[in-house]
Amino acid sequence: MDIETVPTFELGDILATRCGNTLTGKFLTNSKIALIAYTHKNTNAFANCEQPSKDGVEDPVLIYIAQETTIYEEPLLRSLLSEANTTFNTLRKLGKNASKTEYINVSQAYRSIVRSCLEKLEQMKTTPKLQVDEAELRCSSEAITTFYAVECLWHLFEILYVQEQHNQMILAQLLKWTRFHFPQTEAHATDLLLMAEDASDRDDYWEILKTLIMLGEVSVTAAILTQNRKAGRDEFQEAISILKAMPVFEDGYALQKFRSQWEYWHVNGEHKLDANAFAAEPELELLMQLVVGKNEQWDEALCKSKEWYEYLPGYLLYTNPTCKPFDLRIAATAWLNRWSRLRPEWQMKTMSRMIKHLMAHDIKLFLFEMQQLNESNWFATHLIDLIYQSGQLNSYCEQRKIDLKSLRNSTVYNFGSFLMTSHKLWQLGIDYLDCCGEEGIAAINILLPRIPFKTERLALKLIAMARQRNLFEVEPEICKVLFKRSYDEERHGSALEWVIRSKDATVVTAMADFILKNYSKTGIFVCPDVITNIGARMFIAPRLVFLCKYFEFNELYRKRDFSSATKLLVNLLDSKITPSYFWPTLFIESIPLLESKEPMLTSKETVTILHHLETNLLPLIEQNMLETAIFPNLSSTVELKDYRIENVDEMVSVLRYACARNYSRTILKENTA
Amino acid sequence: MTGTNAQNVTTYYISEKVSQVRWLPELQQQSDRFVTGSWDIAKNYVRLWRLQQNPYVNQNVPIVPCCHDKVSMEDDVTGMEFVDKNTLAVGCGDGHLSVLKVQRAVEKDQIQRKARSELLHYFKSANTSRSASCTGVATFGTDIATVGDDGRLNVVNADNLQQVKRTIEADSVSLFAVVYANHQEIFTANGMGVVRMFDARASNEAQPNIAFVVGCQDEKNFNGVSCMTTHPMQKHILLCGSEEGSISVYDLRNLRYPASYLGAHNSRITDIAFHPKDPTKLFTAAESGEVWLWSEQKSLINASEEQEDYCAWLCGERVSDLVKVKGVLSNVCKPINSIDVHGMRLVCGSDAEIVFLADNV
Repeated sequence: MDIETVPTFELGDILATRCGNTLTGKFLTNSKIALIAYTHKNTNAFANCEQPSKDGVEDPVLIYIAQETTIYEEPLLRSLLSEANTTFNTLRKLGKNASKTEYINVSQAYRSIVRSCLEKLEQMKTTPKLQVDEAELRCSSEAITTFYAVECLWHLFEILYVQEQHNQMILAQLLKWTRFHFPQTEAHATDLLLMAEDASDRDDYWEILKTLIMLGEVSVTAAILTQNRKAGRDEFQEAISILKAMPVFEDGYALQKFRSQWEYWHVNGEHKLDANAFAAEPELELLMQLVVGKNEQWDEALCKSKEWYEYLPGYLLYTNPTCKPFDLRIAATAWLNRWSRLRPEWQMKTMSRMIKHLMAHDIKLFLFEMQQLNESNWFATHLIDLIYQSGQLNSYCEQRKIDLKSLRNSTVYNFGSFLMTSHKLWQLGIDYLDCCGEEGIAAINILLPRIPFKTERLALKLIAMARQRNLFEVEPEICKVLFKRSYDEERHGSALEWVIRSKDATVVTAMADFILKNYSKTGIFVCPDVITNIGARMFIAPRLVFLCKYFEFNELYRKRDFSSATKLLVNLLDSKITPSYFWPTLFIESIPLLESKEPMLTSKETVTILHHLETNLLPLIEQNMLETAIFPNLSSTVELKDYRIENVDEMVSVLRYACARNYSRTILKENTA
Repeated sequence: MTGTNAQNVTTYYISEKVSQVRWLPELQQQSDRFVTGSWDIAKNYVRLWRLQQNPYVNQNVPIVPCCHDKVSMEDDVTGMEFVDKNTLAVGCGDGHLSVLKVQRAVEKDQIQRKARSELLHYFKSANTSRSASCTGVATFGTDIATVGDDGRLNVVNADNLQQVKRTIEADSVSLFAVVYANHQEIFTANGMGVVRMFDARASNEAQPNIAFVVGCQDEKNFNGVSCMTTHPMQKHILLCGSEEGSISVYDLRNLRYPASYLGAHNSRITDIAFHPKDPTKLFTAAESGEVWLWSEQKSLINASEEQEDYCAWLCGERVSDLVKVKGVLSNVCKPINSIDVHGMRLVCGSDAEIVFLADNV
């Protein structure tokens, strides 16, 4: 995609059309935008108008959700993301001090991921399902084009900047690169070799041979020529011997010696041509003219080639076989000028331009263009990360004032947040955000709780991830979402569990209040199995402690362990954590214990009860009465209710009598014993 | 590229987050087919894989899994167990249980859905009614027990999914694991670390009230039980893997206190499984991307202790001396969600969208 083209869309529904097809939008989570028809109304005009405008009344208001489309919607491309993620993590572990071979391995691993993905996509393209589904076919074709370009560029980058070339000799690698990316000729060559002698009759025989020579396939050309019907002739024998005699640089050669050998071979070839040794076979002569690098013939052939860089390595093979990266820079520029002169109508595409940047050592421009590619920065992120970790281009970046570290961090950050917010790829995204500085951690903090979770298992996974990273704000947030969800659905057990996990004292108190109030009203605990197992977690909030202890009292009472129950009840009365609305319930519990046949409460305990009745409950009752006197329509702030009583005052008098009776019999007993 | 300890571990990218893996049962030979279930992607599948000769010439990896067939599921696959040789029970995130049939063939194996239950797990209240995720599946004979986020325990028969044999309101919080101790006793575990026992024959109201809480290091946090298994020979030994990464061992004949408690991984234990034929070996998988092998040291066991019901796992604090731990898999970076072992091979499914195969375990 070019930077100049900005995508546009319009709503086009009735309402939007009526108001001039203008719209407004709002960003939602997961890079979605909600869009609605919108027209600006001046508030003054609105006030002057007696009737509101009819626009919004007659037509339905439609809300559209716009979402960024990416090529990763294709499921096959998922593997590209997940496998690259593993490689990314490997590189992260290697860090900046690994050996060169290890970085090369990483680079090759990335490329093999792309290649295997391309292979799968090509396979899928041929399946019958895709032949029918045009949209999907287009989608996968687009993916193939994009990632084909990515692989091609990465390969070239690897040759020029990652690999350590012996003596900086890059030509052999470059030839391999062009052959790999223009594979048709190789396929044709195989055909010719299989056809043996008959191949000579093919119409495109010489065309193919020419292409082979221009791609630098010298030995293959020689092999095909030896199969020619006329191979026995002198011209052919001569040509084959020249081709076979071509010196090839190998490791361990002295450069000077190679050069002189090559010069000798080259001059020899030119002499043969000048002597018209091939004049009887014009096609063969043309071939040999290409081999010695005659510009006229090359120019002619170039006019038919597809891409400017296709035959550059081949040309270098016949003109400058010891080409080094520095020479390549000059050669590439010269070659491109020549090409555009030959084909003035030709327009440079992004990929060709990027290859030019790489060859001309314009890394800065290359990095810039790389980020414009339409693949959500998969390429830029991983390649820049590799450049950063391997430190290969450090001196270049210093010269050009490129802040490689920030560049790397920002691309990794962008890619990470893209993954975090789309297509259930958050588990991959988090790895990228993990290693791009503080911004990344902050983004995780914001994005992690916003990952839509339906099940508790997923929620627990998110919590575990947050804990691993010491992001303490995430866990309470997720827990509270689950609490709210359970509470709204009246799953009180779940609500209680999650609110305790959130460790938020305010919300815990609210939940405990709900359970206690519900008990006062109905006499039923909503989730006894959960309350039983709160254990030491109760200390988050005093209200929760009260709930647990009161529940324990209830259980003891139910099991008829009255002496323990009584002790607990008195403790609760004395605890100072009793919520005011719960006083009546607590006092009611004491009545049967006071009235039991065998006295349960000592005289001292009885006094305690009486004391709390006078100092805690009665002021509340008075306050309530005062409030209702002033505001008779309003219900009182503290509701003093219990399912067992109708009137608090009545209970107070019953309790006073009970206390008095119990006190009188216990004080006697205690003092006589 | 993934870091693994042992040389004998191979990795396969399958482009799906794997929630469950199970070997197809084989009585006589090493199983070479397994099933995977995926979760948290747009379309979830149960896939049937078979190990085959690597079509590409690659000396390092002689065999590779090939996907033979798949069944599209409505939601995350959350539980998978084989009922018999060719019948697979699959619990799904939409609260339904499905039964899948495998057809083995020479060329291409097939897997098909035979039945799908009614909604087994759901939330219902005055203002809502929606499905709840099924979270675990256990089998005994032809019976299938499922548990879910709604705290229910259902028992159905594999031959008739439409008729639920028993529904028990087991818990008021989500259940995470379920296991059969014998044909009638079923154990469930929840996120608070409470393990309960239920009787498949008794009605909802007449359930025995038997429950215990697994131990934990940090009293302030809940230590949920995330997986359970029983000893393959001595069914009264129950192992619970927990959220904090510890293992609690219970002797079901004495539930008052745990027989042993071991700190193990430093993250949630996601799966725990004995080797079905060699119960001296136990495998645990963890959220942090580890798989460990625990092997009993036979040489350390005194002759006097060599009783019929002796088991190293019941030896309390001495367990750590009697059992040796070895890492099978580490540095995966992403949670390992499920493991299964058959014969000499271990298969693991991970959130890294990878299936790991370990040989010679």
